[in-house]
Amino acid sequence: MEEDEFIGEKTFQRCCAEFIKHSQQIGDSWEWRPSKDCSDGYMCKIHFQIKNEPVMSHPGTSTHGQTCLPMEEAFELPSDDCEVIEAPAASQVIKYEYHVLYSCSYQVPVLYFRASFLDGRPLTLKDIWEGVHEFYKTRLLQGPWDTITQQEHPILGQPFFVLHPCKTNEFMTPVLKNSRKINKNVNYITSWLSIVGPVVGLNLPLSYVKATSQDE
Amino acid sequence: MAEEPQCVFQLPPSSTAGGEGLTEVSPEITTPEPPSSAAVSPGTEEPAGDTKKKIDILLKAVGDTPIMKTKKWAVERTRTIQGLIDFIKKFLKLVASEQLFIYVNQSFAPSPDQEVGTLYECFGSDGKLVLHYCKSQAWG
Repeated sequence: MEEDEFIGEKTFQRCCAEFIKHSQQIGDSWEWRPSKDCSDGYMCKIHFQIKNEPVMSHPGTSTHGQTCLPMEEAFELPSDDCEVIEAPAASQVIKYEYHVLYSCSYQVPVLYFRASFLDGRPLTLKDIWEGVHEFYKTRLLQGPWDTITQQEHPILGQPFFVLHPCKTNEFMTPVLKNSRKINKNVNYITSWLSIVGPVVGLNLPLSYVKATSQDE
Repeated sequence: MAEEPQCVFQLPPSSTAGGEGLTEVSPEITTPEPPSSAAVSPGTEEPAGDTKKKIDILLKAVGDTPIMKTKKWAVERTRTIQGLIDFIKKFLKLVASEQLFIYVNQSFAPSPDQEVGTLYECFGSDGKLVLHYCKSQAWG
């Protein structure tokens, strides 16, 4: 059995910094958020997506006092992998948030995510999965990411969905070992996020790969 | 590791999920050519009428993933990563609960609907695209 590859918190922060640097170059809107009093923090991305039909399973939500105003192509989506949908009257705008935190106990990064309508109503996990590629829906059920659970965000204290990190080394170790063999510089965060991101609807543009190989 | 002879096999057409079984076409000897050249191997069972061009992909195993006997494949540019994964899984006879990952540049997992042609344009060199694949543990 191969020895597991862990990353220390300093390496985590360094990889995040490199990742964010490239994100800024391509307008991918990742940013670093330091925690209030500690020297740690997390990486965060928010993006908006227009759904051309109501996503929530229960009807008549518009009678709930707060209504979502019909949007018509109101948002310019920054990254390539989002489609600007020509929205008919009954469209919804959904805010997706992805946070990358460091887990001291597992010594790996962890992906926290949540989604909500603009009026603050949260999406259920089922609703979020509607935006996940079919390929990953099957894959998600089969691991190796074990489970998605709902947990309190360690820094914000709010409920988020979390892709459990206990199996991270299963898929990261072979990749890292292979790269190490040929002295290749790999950004752990880029690799890791390219693997786990799509499972929850987050896709990384290919330009991140080029950025990594240019860092010597 | 002994270098295989320069044979390029045709990936079965993606009619069903990745193609049932392996139809090994008679191996064609090809020399590495720049991407703008004509189709790699003439005389296959695929109707060549379409302007679909093929690219050469070299598949390399990572970790203790089984090594494919045939590593070099000619693949249509429009084949997706998902299609390729399905194909390799069948080829290696992986069980349903085993997952396969494909990496470009040895470190980055492209989206499943990414076309290999695009990856070739970005990361191909010496007339081929090198992709690494890695199997994860079976989950019973």
